[in-house]
Amino acid sequence: MTDIQIKQVDWKSQSQQKQLKARYTKERNFKIVAIFCLSLALAALIVVLGSILTTGISGFKETRINLNIHMDKAIIGDITGLTETEYQQHLISININKILITALQKKFPDVKSRRDVFNLLKLFSIGSQGDIREILLTKPELIGQDYEISLLASSNVDMLIKGKISRDIEQANRKISDQQIAWLDQFIAEDKIKTGFNWTFFKNGDSREPELAGIKSATVGSLITLFVTFIISFPIGVGTAIYLEEFAPKNIYTDIIEININNLAAVPSIIFGILGLAIFIGFFNLPRSAPLVGGLTLALMTLPTIIITARAAIKAVPPSIKEAAIALGASHMQMVFHHVLPLSMPGILTGSIIGMAQALGETAPLLMIGMVAFIVDTPQSIVDASTVLPVQVYLWADSPERGFLEKTSAAIMVLLLFLIIMNGLAIWMRQKFEKKW
Amino acid sequence: MTIVKSTNITGQTAKIIADKVNVHYGDNHALKDICLDINSNEVTALIGPSGCGKSTFLRCLNRMNDIIESCRVEGSITLDGQNINSKKIDVVELRARVGMVFQKPNPFPKSIYDNIAYGPRIHGLSSNKEELDHIVHSSLKKAGLWNEVHDRLESSGTSLSGGQQQRLCIARTIAIEPEVILMDEPCSALDPIATAIIEELIEELKNRYAIVIVTHSMQQAARISQKTAFFHLGKLLEQGDTKSIFTNPTHEKTKDYITGRYG
Repeated sequence: MTDIQIKQVDWKSQSQQKQLKARYTKERNFKIVAIFCLSLALAALIVVLGSILTTGISGFKETRINLNIHMDKAIIGDITGLTETEYQQHLISININKILITALQKKFPDVKSRRDVFNLLKLFSIGSQGDIREILLTKPELIGQDYEISLLASSNVDMLIKGKISRDIEQANRKISDQQIAWLDQFIAEDKIKTGFNWTFFKNGDSREPELAGIKSATVGSLITLFVTFIISFPIGVGTAIYLEEFAPKNIYTDIIEININNLAAVPSIIFGILGLAIFIGFFNLPRSAPLVGGLTLALMTLPTIIITARAAIKAVPPSIKEAAIALGASHMQMVFHHVLPLSMPGILTGSIIGMAQALGETAPLLMIGMVAFIVDTPQSIVDASTVLPVQVYLWADSPERGFLEKTSAAIMVLLLFLIIMNGLAIWMRQKFEKKW
Repeated sequence: MTIVKSTNITGQTAKIIADKVNVHYGDNHALKDICLDINSNEVTALIGPSGCGKSTFLRCLNRMNDIIESCRVEGSITLDGQNINSKKIDVVELRARVGMVFQKPNPFPKSIYDNIAYGPRIHGLSSNKEELDHIVHSSLKKAGLWNEVHDRLESSGTSLSGGQQQRLCIARTIAIEPEVILMDEPCSALDPIATAIIEELIEELKNRYAIVIVTHSMQQAARISQKTAFFHLGKLLEQGDTKSIFTNPTHEKTKDYITGRYG
């Protein structure tokens, strides 16, 4: 039939064997390279997580010093006949420091000079005044009595106890003097030093003192900001995706819009910060440092991600389902909202959560709109000054105090936990609601 | 609105009359001057090799081609004398009157009940739960699926077997009481037993509706249809009573095709 002679393959021949061997070698080499790259990535991940974990884990512990305090009636004054609010006001006006100094002088009778008293006082956090005030507020019956109270230690003491400041280095090179260490050793000898879980870290906002600094205001700020981001970007993003995928005519204008959306997803986030600064603060005069502006800016950044993932999810709905609806006499709108949208919702939600997680970890655009400020108070509304978790990490990483090092890592761990929860939620939703057909 | 009257040999007015229908997909001239009458209470089979335009013609009858952007339909197709391509006709109403069953069973990923209730719901055919229940139950009975699924109406439509799914799709179509049912190779994805059940069903449905079926199986066309139309390369080469086409085809190509020498 044909002149072309097709060669009969001789599988036993040497050349054939050689070729076969070469094919297997190639496959094996590819696998080796792939496994090597994977292990490299895994090792990098372990190093990063390991270093964060080892520095950060101690951030969840705090040191407290138990001290016997005499609640001196002469200092506190007469509280008979005061209402609760008046009592509260009264407590703020009294000299708590004096109570503390009296207690310390009683414990260390040889400490006389002003300077020594000052140094002794520095073993305790300035927040310990708050501890005493708290006890007095809840237990007014203690006035005039002795009471052993657990006081927050200063960051330097905390670091020494945790072994982050070495006793061996020269006095001039460490933040805590030999004399202070001697006093501390006396406390240790009497078993008055306790370490416990650091609730302060979760109860407080930012502070200049590492032992008092916490992530509450940043966490609440993050949640409010994300809420604003979601409220703005989800409806607009999904609406845009539905329109572009199902209703928009396919012409040059929609092509241009599509290319632009895809490009926007790759724009550096700080550009969105500049845009937010110019539009929301410059033009609309919205308040600086507010979650409202932060949320709007992050919404701009998240929109392309949501639109792209939502379009992919909508596109994945099989045309046969759409045809079935159309053939039953459903209008285009009914087809989209009764069938296409419910079927693509798991994919849309997954994409949106990933977009939100990205927004949660974003710092750069927020620097531009002033969310980088030092904020102690927890924001109460979307227009209060606020900061967010990644910015808090950035601020603490910049602080010179030794104590902030572990706080930074601890805050990163909390941030990572949030991210893991959000991504886990996305995976769970995908598995739970994905329909098979 | 112009009323076109056309009567066939038996003196009965045809349900659907296609006159000089031309369809273009962009530059591709897919259907050329198709003229075909479709009668009530009859099964009309459209046969022909792949890509000859049978499905395209079928989709013209309830304007499913509207959703394909590049598609352009010319000529007149009338349903009870009304031109379905006219601006005056509402496409939603048309599709409710001309139902369609597809090649691949495509139940909605919802419960069996909701699959059937969807059409009546969007068209407002029932005013309360009892009426809707009645529609769903009777549709399932008419589609011969009731005995198999009556105790699991809440389970997903996609959990049924292929043949059951296809009957579910037929039940879904007849739930809105159409006048014509279009079937696009409804048995091509099914095994012989499921096919036999569907064919029996079509035999029964014929008494209530006009049925147009696209099929690749000559035996099927011969078994279930009264009229047959042979399409070839976008042209309607031959049409007439199924018996005469299969026993005495006039066109050479038809003869080749039905005897299996071509296509």
